[in-house]
Amino acid sequence: MGAIALSQLLAKDNLLASGLESGPIRPKIDDKNPYAPRPPHFDMPAKQVLVIYCPGAVSHVDTFDYKPDLYKLDGQKPPGIPQVTFEGPTGNIAKPFWDFKPRGESGKMVSDLLPNLAGMVDDFCFMHSLTTQTSAHPQGENFMNTGFTMEGFPSFGAWVTYALGCETDELPAFVAINDPRGLARSGKNNFGSGFLPAAFQGTDFTASNPPANLGRPNAYTPAADQASVSLLQRLNAKHLKQFPGDADLAARIASYELAGRMQTSVPEVMDIANEPAHIHQAYGTGSGTELKKAYANNCILARRLLEKGVRVVQLFNGSDPAGGNGITNWDSHSDIKETHAMQAEIMDQPTAALIADLKQRGMLEHTLVVWCTEFGRMPFLQANGTGRDHNPDAFTCFLAGAGVKKGYSYGESDEFGFKAAVNETSVYDFNATLLHLMGLDHERLTYYHNGLERRLTNVHGHVVKDILA
Amino acid sequence: MKCYLQNLCLFAFLACGMTATVSATEIDFENDIFPILDDNCLFCHGEDEQESGLRLDRRGFMLRGGDSGLAAIVPGHPEKSYLVDAISHVDEDMAMPPDEDKIADEDIELITRWIKEGAIWPGQMDDVAEEEIDHWAFLPRQTEFDHHTIDGFVHAKLSEAGLSFSRPADPRSLIRRVSIILTGLAPTPERTFDFIAAFNEDADSAYEQLVDELLASPHFGERWAQHWLDVIRWAETNGSESNLYRKNAWMYRDYVVRSFNEDKPYDEFIREQIAGDITGHGDATGFLVAGPHVPAATVGQEPTAIRQARADRMDEVLQTVGASMMGVTIGCARCHNHKFDPISINDYYSMTAAFQDVEFGSRFPELGADHPRTLRAAQLRDELKTLREQMRSKGWAWVEDWTGYEEVHFPTKTIDELRIHFDGRWVMLDELEIFESTGEQRNVLAEDMGTVITDNPTTHVPNQPPKNLNDGVFGTKGWRGVSKKGNKETPWLEFAFAAPFDIGMIRLSSNREDFLETDYLEGMNQSKYGDFKLEIRDADGDWKPFASTSAMKKRSSENEERQALQSQIQETIAALLIEGPQPAFLGQFVPPVETYVLARGSPESPRDQVFAAAPKRLNGNLDVEPNAPGPQRRKAFAEWLVASDNPLTARVMTNRMWHHIFGSGIVPTPSDFGRAGAPPTHPELLDWLTSQFIDSGWSMKSIIRQIVLSRAFRQSSTPDQDGLAKDGSAQLLWRFPPRRVEAEVIRDSVLQASGRLDSTIGGPSYRIHNVKKRYAQWEVIDNHSDETWRRMLYQERMRRVDDRIFTAFDFPDCGQIRAKRPVSTTPLQALNLMNSDFVVTQAQLLADRAESESGPSIEDQINRCFELLLCRRPSQTELTASVEFAQTQSIELLCRTLINTNEFAFLP
Repeated sequence: MGAIALSQLLAKDNLLASGLESGPIRPKIDDKNPYAPRPPHFDMPAKQVLVIYCPGAVSHVDTFDYKPDLYKLDGQKPPGIPQVTFEGPTGNIAKPFWDFKPRGESGKMVSDLLPNLAGMVDDFCFMHSLTTQTSAHPQGENFMNTGFTMEGFPSFGAWVTYALGCETDELPAFVAINDPRGLARSGKNNFGSGFLPAAFQGTDFTASNPPANLGRPNAYTPAADQASVSLLQRLNAKHLKQFPGDADLAARIASYELAGRMQTSVPEVMDIANEPAHIHQAYGTGSGTELKKAYANNCILARRLLEKGVRVVQLFNGSDPAGGNGITNWDSHSDIKETHAMQAEIMDQPTAALIADLKQRGMLEHTLVVWCTEFGRMPFLQANGTGRDHNPDAFTCFLAGAGVKKGYSYGESDEFGFKAAVNETSVYDFNATLLHLMGLDHERLTYYHNGLERRLTNVHGHVVKDILA
Repeated sequence: MKCYLQNLCLFAFLACGMTATVSATEIDFENDIFPILDDNCLFCHGEDEQESGLRLDRRGFMLRGGDSGLAAIVPGHPEKSYLVDAISHVDEDMAMPPDEDKIADEDIELITRWIKEGAIWPGQMDDVAEEEIDHWAFLPRQTEFDHHTIDGFVHAKLSEAGLSFSRPADPRSLIRRVSIILTGLAPTPERTFDFIAAFNEDADSAYEQLVDELLASPHFGERWAQHWLDVIRWAETNGSESNLYRKNAWMYRDYVVRSFNEDKPYDEFIREQIAGDITGHGDATGFLVAGPHVPAATVGQEPTAIRQARADRMDEVLQTVGASMMGVTIGCARCHNHKFDPISINDYYSMTAAFQDVEFGSRFPELGADHPRTLRAAQLRDELKTLREQMRSKGWAWVEDWTGYEEVHFPTKTIDELRIHFDGRWVMLDELEIFESTGEQRNVLAEDMGTVITDNPTTHVPNQPPKNLNDGVFGTKGWRGVSKKGNKETPWLEFAFAAPFDIGMIRLSSNREDFLETDYLEGMNQSKYGDFKLEIRDADGDWKPFASTSAMKKRSSENEERQALQSQIQETIAALLIEGPQPAFLGQFVPPVETYVLARGSPESPRDQVFAAAPKRLNGNLDVEPNAPGPQRRKAFAEWLVASDNPLTARVMTNRMWHHIFGSGIVPTPSDFGRAGAPPTHPELLDWLTSQFIDSGWSMKSIIRQIVLSRAFRQSSTPDQDGLAKDGSAQLLWRFPPRRVEAEVIRDSVLQASGRLDSTIGGPSYRIHNVKKRYAQWEVIDNHSDETWRRMLYQERMRRVDDRIFTAFDFPDCGQIRAKRPVSTTPLQALNLMNSDFVVTQAQLLADRAESESGPSIEDQINRCFELLLCRRPSQTELTASVEFAQTQSIELLCRTLINTNEFAFLP
């Protein structure tokens, strides 16, 4: 039996083949608690991860990727611009819709669209040369969050949860906080478990909507509910005696105990009303649009979850197009000046406050923060239009916190922000780097499914070592 | 395409250069070519190392090429030789030698010329590099066996491991186990008690009778259809952008249920699903388009994205066929030769040639004369005809709503001119047909009928003229009439026929596209033409109305008989739309285009043309003409699958049956029989059982029957320490391995226990979702009320949508092949089963049932609850505890508790 034959012994995850120099490292899943903490492949500072996902594609040339040439070429159509992009015919170059200024000690040029985040650039590590494989939102979201443009693959959060379990046994290991307007374009794919066991999917709830079926049904009093739980324990214990040593039965009994703990701890963690006034003020839960207030509450929830030891928190800032009031996400095919501004009003202050709060509490020492979107926007407008089309060939994301350089920018797009030019970084590379930051080898974190050892990064991806602190 | 063109240019250049500069001396391999290879290539591509699977030290290996699947040399054709591409640095990523300068131009020229002149390699001209197939799954089945019963094989392996069978299972466990495995439903308490009594009389005969009863149950097909649909990730939405509902896709689900119930021979089941369109089983081809897809309309306007999306859709088709019927993963070969299995990139694209006429979409299924749907449609059409004749005989006209279009029926007019005069000022039609009421009932607007159509010149919209009315193009780009402000006229259409016809019906629509492809969206199938009048010229040549849709509606509401008749007509239409041969998402067939190998999977890098074939090293010649029509190619592929010498097909299905019965296959990786899969635990048993399967005429029921009658199946599941220590997962079957039942079994068994399961077989799925907008996500709005009390097989399968209860029990998201569901245990499952509205509602109904069936005594009610949910009476301690519980709490709460027990959730 060679390496291949070994990998056949696959299906059972607890038949761990670690200790080898290469090949899959299978996490040892405790039958009684699939969320029990598990060691990483190697030591890294990050123990938890917060992903802030901005569906719809944020315009890099209007936010973090400063391109002075766009001012010179404003209104022109220099050679090299394609006739047709995703939505159709192309128009002329448009200079950024917001002014750029140097920020922080690093002097990083950031636009006025995101003044609060701009003030924190000395903590951020920008990646300016990202490229993706598609110009369509759902495929782009799939690719960014699951590593594949196609349907059905496990999300980043599910992979991390599968590998590392969780530090708390009172809360779900992986929480997805959807936008107040609803699910993003790829829906549950973004936090689903794909072909991994359902145990590793993200549990979705927000500051205002608890997880489905968390609460005791109204039909039962607390005492009745408790009596039912006790009777269940007795019946199960008796049944288990007939099957001594059967781990699956014991595991299911344990899962009810876990559920019971979650019923107490989730409402506690959701109780953001008790946060002090200065916190509410900093996040902006009382000012601005209703959407912004709701998102700000979600940001506070994100911090509280991380504080309690939740492994992965994925926070969405945008939804599917039909979800909202006028705008639904960052997709700005027309009137980008207005629509990006509306979206920025929601995102900027609460997100900046969240990262600052994590920093102030020392949580950035062990928390990786990832701010990302599925692709960028074009430096030129759509024909006869006021918006920018999708740009899969250059976009910007940033990282912050554990294990990442501070006040740093990696990679460059070309002089227009049209294509990645220096240190092109694919989504595979990006995801490989995120896993690395979590202490996981993206080539060895695998799950056998239907003939293949599947990975988040398929058969690609290189860790971007340059951004490691 | 870019690389390819560059490549051609390069050769044009080289070819010209050659005649001018290189002397015509003959190339000598040993002196001219070998040294170049030796200096530059052989270190990595020689005897010791074969980077990317490529060897250049023998001519045969060169002809075969490496993992890329592209021939390194094609004698006589340097332009097709990948070696030349690599050394000429056509593609930066594949520039050879790597990290070094290009080899000298003269050397490249020499190699090019050598290939052009036939790549003469003295002594190796007959060298071929065919790899031996030595992996068990690709070799013929064994035919000689040491045993002739399932138990013989199993017992032999157990003995080797120092184990033996457990004692037989008790009858209660046995009936629960076999009922769930065969039908997905727990047995009723009555059937259980009858069985126990009969079992105690004569165990074998009672059990055989039970098995035969279960195999004959219509619920058998439902249970086994569920397994098949998992494998092919069938669902009723697209996935991807806006995850649209696939209209009437459930017709395929019903086909699968029916096939299992009829015990359709498996070879026939395969033929129909791959090429049923030519044998009157059009509803079977839903198989081909079971996977998710990105609709062409949502990939944007860049041609590269459109080509990529088509290639992705084709890959979904191949994944379905490969994983379900062939039991191998073929996706790897999309980009390079399969690393483990005998499937080359050429094979992959030859297979796409076999399925090149398949496209995702809807069509009217081709159904044979004896198809249940055809028979039902004929019956309904007869009824409709009678009803219509009654209307007509009274001289009444009426409007029929066919969802996507309307039909206006009226007493026959023999006319050579007709005007449709709209009441509204803004009207839109995509299609319009006018039918004769006699004879062949032709559409007189058909192209060859010579009808001239004009519209009101004052409301004419130049880019949407009347000629669009009969072009068969559905959507919003048909005909339009717009009466601008100040215009007193409204739009009309005039038809001048070539001769007088007997006209009796008009069919029209504003947008028939959604009717064909999807519905169940907000704002779907709306008519945008309003009421209108039908006019003919009077003696003076003036247009006078003889019928008006508004008047038809008004009169109908005033006359009871007329109204009753019309409702009957509408009800019959509603039935036809569900039970008749309606457009359904079963795939579309398009003219097959030429198929090319796409280097590294990229539609932008087409290489050699390929023709329909199955994998070459699995005797994949299909014996069809290169330009054979699509159905012929698919038919030939199906025949290859079911040929007696195909080593995979029958084994894969035999193993699947075993897998669904024991929870793990003889090959534990049921959709991967390749080298990366797991080897069989009982290879001889697999081959023996496979032979039995083929000898039975591919009868799935006969194999399933044989398996569940075995001692291996009928033994107890109680653990013993020796067995657990030696074979923890009981792969060798020293006990029957217990397992948590699937989402469907839990849900269906709760409904059955409460007595509320609607056991209707087939038909449209029940819905737990909202009617959504085109660009929006589905939202669960009702997953528990009485509308949903059918078997979960009929819950609309929406890709990647969480149903908020049972998805947590590893119900698949239908994005990827799911040959084997994971079985996870999570606190969310516990919360859903304790607190969901579904469970709360059902617990109450169970309590009501227990009370009404057993009277006022609490003990009797408790006994009944245990019977209904667990098929047994409580033990004395359980009864005491339950009585105490019910007295302080309630029977309802007891039922909720029992639903959550391990005993209820595990297969005993």
